[in-house]
Amino acid sequence: MSVAELKERHMAAAETVNSLKERLKQRRLLLLDTDVAGYARSQGQTRVSFGPTDLVCCRTLQGHTGKVYSLDWTPERNRIVSASQDGRLIVWNALTSQKTHAIKLPCAWVMTCAFSPSGQSVACGGLDSMCSIFNLNSQTDKDGNLPVSRMLSGHKGYVSSCQYVPDEDTHLITASGDQTCVLWDITTGLRTSVFGGEFQSGHTADVLSVSINESNSRMFISGSCDSTVRLWDTRVASRAVRTFHGHEGDVNAVKFFPDGHRFGTGSDDGTCRLFDIRTGHQLQEYNQQHDDNEAPHVTSIAFSTSGRLLFAGYTNGDCYVWDTLLAEVVLDLGKLQNSHDSRISCLGLSADGSALCTGSWDSNLKIWAFGGHRRVN
Amino acid sequence: MSLEVAIVVEDAVEYSFAMEYHGPPITRELPRAVPINVDRIPVASVVSPLPFPDSLSLPVVQPISAADIIGKKLIKDLKLSSSSAELLTVSPTSVIAFESQNNEVSEGSYSKELGLGTETSVSPSSVINASVESETENRSSNDICALSGELSSDFECCNRDDVLSGVNERGYSSISHDEFVGGVGSSGVLESSDSFEKSMEFSGSLRKSRLSGAYKETLDFNESNRTDWESNESVLSVDYLSSRVSSRKFGDGNQDSGGGDVRRAPVVTFCDIESDDENVDDDYSRSEPEVVRMKKEPAAKVRKGACYRCLKGNRFTEKEVCMVCDAKYCNNCVLRAMGSMPEGRKCVTCIGYPISELKRASLGKCSRMLKRLLNDLEVKQIMKAEKFCEVNQLPPEYISVNGRPLYHDELVMLQSCSNPPKKLKPGNYWYDKVSGLWGKVGQKPLQIITPHLNVGGPVKANASNGNTQVYINGREITKVELRMLKLAGVQCAGNPHFWVNEDGSYQEEGQKNTKGFIWGKAGTKLLCAVLSLPVPSKSSDLCGEQISSSISRSMPDYLEQRVIQKLLLIGYSGSGTSTIFKQARILYKDIPFSEDEREHITLVIQSHVYNYIGILLEGRERFEEESLHELRQHQSCDGPDGTTPAGDVDGNGEETPYSIGPRLKAFSDWLLKIMASGTLEAIFPAACREYAPLVEELCSSVAFKATYKRRHELESLPSISSYFLEQAVEILKPDYKPSDLDILYAEHVTSSNGLACVDFSFPEPVYDGDDSGDLHDSLLRYQLIRLQAKGFGENCKWLEMLEDVRVVIFCVSLSDYDQFALDGDGNRVNKMMLSKKFFENMVTHPTFDQMEFLLLLNKLDSFEEKIEQVPLTKCEWFDDFHPVISRNRSNSNNSNHPTLGQLGFHYVAVKFKRLFAALTGRKLYASAVKALDPTSVDTALKYAREVLSWDEERPNVSLSEYSIYSTEASSFSH
Repeated sequence: MSVAELKERHMAAAETVNSLKERLKQRRLLLLDTDVAGYARSQGQTRVSFGPTDLVCCRTLQGHTGKVYSLDWTPERNRIVSASQDGRLIVWNALTSQKTHAIKLPCAWVMTCAFSPSGQSVACGGLDSMCSIFNLNSQTDKDGNLPVSRMLSGHKGYVSSCQYVPDEDTHLITASGDQTCVLWDITTGLRTSVFGGEFQSGHTADVLSVSINESNSRMFISGSCDSTVRLWDTRVASRAVRTFHGHEGDVNAVKFFPDGHRFGTGSDDGTCRLFDIRTGHQLQEYNQQHDDNEAPHVTSIAFSTSGRLLFAGYTNGDCYVWDTLLAEVVLDLGKLQNSHDSRISCLGLSADGSALCTGSWDSNLKIWAFGGHRRVN
Repeated sequence: MSLEVAIVVEDAVEYSFAMEYHGPPITRELPRAVPINVDRIPVASVVSPLPFPDSLSLPVVQPISAADIIGKKLIKDLKLSSSSAELLTVSPTSVIAFESQNNEVSEGSYSKELGLGTETSVSPSSVINASVESETENRSSNDICALSGELSSDFECCNRDDVLSGVNERGYSSISHDEFVGGVGSSGVLESSDSFEKSMEFSGSLRKSRLSGAYKETLDFNESNRTDWESNESVLSVDYLSSRVSSRKFGDGNQDSGGGDVRRAPVVTFCDIESDDENVDDDYSRSEPEVVRMKKEPAAKVRKGACYRCLKGNRFTEKEVCMVCDAKYCNNCVLRAMGSMPEGRKCVTCIGYPISELKRASLGKCSRMLKRLLNDLEVKQIMKAEKFCEVNQLPPEYISVNGRPLYHDELVMLQSCSNPPKKLKPGNYWYDKVSGLWGKVGQKPLQIITPHLNVGGPVKANASNGNTQVYINGREITKVELRMLKLAGVQCAGNPHFWVNEDGSYQEEGQKNTKGFIWGKAGTKLLCAVLSLPVPSKSSDLCGEQISSSISRSMPDYLEQRVIQKLLLIGYSGSGTSTIFKQARILYKDIPFSEDEREHITLVIQSHVYNYIGILLEGRERFEEESLHELRQHQSCDGPDGTTPAGDVDGNGEETPYSIGPRLKAFSDWLLKIMASGTLEAIFPAACREYAPLVEELCSSVAFKATYKRRHELESLPSISSYFLEQAVEILKPDYKPSDLDILYAEHVTSSNGLACVDFSFPEPVYDGDDSGDLHDSLLRYQLIRLQAKGFGENCKWLEMLEDVRVVIFCVSLSDYDQFALDGDGNRVNKMMLSKKFFENMVTHPTFDQMEFLLLLNKLDSFEEKIEQVPLTKCEWFDDFHPVISRNRSNSNNSNHPTLGQLGFHYVAVKFKRLFAALTGRKLYASAVKALDPTSVDTALKYAREVLSWDEERPNVSLSEYSIYSTEASSFSH
């Protein structure tokens, strides 16, 4: 078989794939008779209304000197780790707003950070293509820096996102610019499995985010610059369980819905979407029309504990609170008093759902929570 | 809303029964509850909206920039009349405060003032600024006039309404006023007019209260700036944890969360007092920057000993003090008043202000209270921040040495020298540069610090106010010193003038020979201790050499952050960025590679060499086959008349120059198999020891040498391999240690994926001229960041992280013009074109908008060789390269005629410059470099430094000056 012949066959195959994809899309559209918002309206749902004190900024965590890129809460105690362009990880006590650790990183270009489920260690990754683990209990060296307790090296591109497997301090999933996701064993520092990559059916561009299903920690999703989201089973590294199309830009953020059967996405096309992992359908699109066609990108998303609210940070400094049922913006944190001055780059809900933390390029983190009066019975 | 208040009040008036006290006897006096005469408590009554008097002209409410904030607070008396309570919408949070205050009252303590936070309904887009001012000390009635004047002027300049509500109680006068800064936002009109109405009412009450004359009032107006407000906010609410942000909450409404009016409900507390005062300063400092350093007084005159926030406590309660404004907070309030303490113990409103000099001594010294409140780690972080954050550092202009205030650099030098002055406080000092003597002006020497620091002016004769007529280094010494000199055995008759060096050796002025050492005898040091005169510290013995090294000493963190200049080194793969990076490490670092790194590099090099050998062996097989084939053909030609047995055609007995013995053959087969399976890296480093003798044998074999001769025919063998193959035997020994040169030549030794960076500063030039400029320069530290293009996606989202880079050094391999590589779609593309595409991507990236670019055209040496054989036009981008080559090029091998290589370089540089100018309209700096040549890399990086300094001086320098450095060449046509 000559090269030309091979090329021809490849072209034909690619065409077939595209036409099949198109047919699939059509078929899906046919099957979808309604979306979440339409159905909810028909059921007479009313939108969530926000009182003035229901979500107020009650803490400002100051201390970073550069853009904040990532944050994560501990599952049980109220601590936050944040990563900033100033090359530091800071561990905050969210209640007192004090710093407990300021970790100077060997590589300042950090993009992501995560708290381990036990709260004993933090992980971070960035342009150095490594994922570094710091044990918060280890002794500081003579300069007062916390030593790296483990370097997870093996990625061939930047580490864009990392998350610990729930309830396991020894396993971590990273997403990388080398188009793969990797499940790591921290105790050995070796890769347990690699998802995607050259010879496997994985992402075809940089992977930007991962989210692990809280109720079934074997399943995780990854969002990528190829504008798709893929669902993976950690036991089957060879291929993605499902691929979700729909976005028209890089998928910057993915987050599982609290029940684990759905997930939300945020993308460069300015929309958030809700997908169902069982049917593969897109359930709802959350898109705020802008006057100019330059829609701000979605940088980060988070769901409330019940899933009724979707918090989404945008590049223009907005932070919308979406009603997931009716697909309406019920509040914009960016327009409230003392909101961030700059792009909101990351946000996260505390484990008990009582507070939202946002990190911004204005180098501050803010904690938003119910600020009103609680009637004590 | 009023319902809620009612509930709370009910709660508050509930009776509580006192228990009999069984504890140990109390030593201190118990505070007595003073009975309250209800009739004597003034009641603020709502005044009907009166027309304003002419003198009080209301300003027009102007829209204010979005940064301004909404807010309004009030301090009200407990006996707030119900009508005004209705008028105000009391927020739920403030009710909590209300409760606590109420308890206080029922306890019969001093306070009857309540903080009721209130808030006008303000839509987020409308902007209202508010602050509360309260004075609890008597002020002279003169203040009234003065302040009313102030009031009106503020009205004019601040565009706001002011509302005052006066509360007077038992000799205290307390005034609270609210300021409304109504920003007319798009949707805020309605609400702000609403508040306007209220403000009118309140100002009515203000006037009334003023007219009564019973109140003594002071006012401070200011504009809380955004950060202040934010931090206030962060102070305010506490118990968010117990509340839940859940959909249920949002779902079933907020009927109980207060009137629809209330948007935001900060608790008004007395901590706002400082913020107000503070902001006044802030406002002023905007107009006159000199005042920035002005000392801040806590305007809040809180009853002596009470906490500035909750107003509770007495002199004996433990309190933490703000380093800036001297406000004191009790146990309960300190965390709320000081927030996250990013700069140490300062009220949130004081963040960003320099600390009070009186408190410098306590910088970084933690109180017991803080230790109790926070855990060790938190305390450590706060103290670290307090000590090292930039705004808390000693302001250089406060220190004057020899009559001249210091500059920032001088202070840094003074503090970072090997033997710095102890406990440097603001003041006037004298410094004897020759001997290192240091003291306060008009006093005897305090200390001997590092000499020869270029700090301040020359020492004056009367610096230490001596009257002995004996001079040391031009300074008239004090009596104590003279006594010491005499006792130390120095001849002081005849009022001599001495020169004293840092080591204590002294000579008389105008004489050459050293007369002795002042501190030479053991007794002298003891004597000095008795007379409390300084003696040189031990380290100063070698301070002569330390001056130069003091520059490279590690600097405090805050300094390092500021002076580091980042250079980004980037290029298409194979452009030699890693070599330049390694070269920079070797050039500027004392220890270019750590032991661990060297170990790793050794393994990498060894596996590379095995790889090269493998490639050669593969080639050997091919050559052997070819030559066998040839031989056979030869034989078949010779066959009819030759005598060669037919069996030999099988090759068993045949010998070609490429044949090897069976043992080596086995090794070769094994190696090739491993290479094919791609596991070379995994196996070889460990197997090194075992195979070293075999390799040695192989290398000395004839076949290997013959193959090596024909290495140019093997395409997959990189050109660099010959460097390593020539010393293969050495390298493959188990105890091989790579030299710097080996590392430089080796491929893929720096962290092959992602980013690597190295901090360096350019070493001092050897010649010592006027070093004031160089000294400054040497403080500049550079960081060279190398990024590999591979593994970073097309749209380069990560680039925005590198926006603080000062110069992008883009590396292009000149010799790539005839090389091809596969691009993303699998097409064969000229590597130069790939470089060009990458260059375009980088230059047009939004992050690098207005960034300086320096183009390094690398591999000039191999380019010069190559261009003689392969025309530059091989690359389609360079198809109009028609160099004017003089006919007699061959015989004029001198510098008058540029070589073809140089012409080619200039041509390529211009091509890139035009491309750059077309894309950005700016100028591209370009330079040629040979990455393997240290001086060439040094020159290139210094060029980058020049680019930086031009960039800084750009406003001052005319553009024409740059053209000197341009590599614009006109010696060829295009």
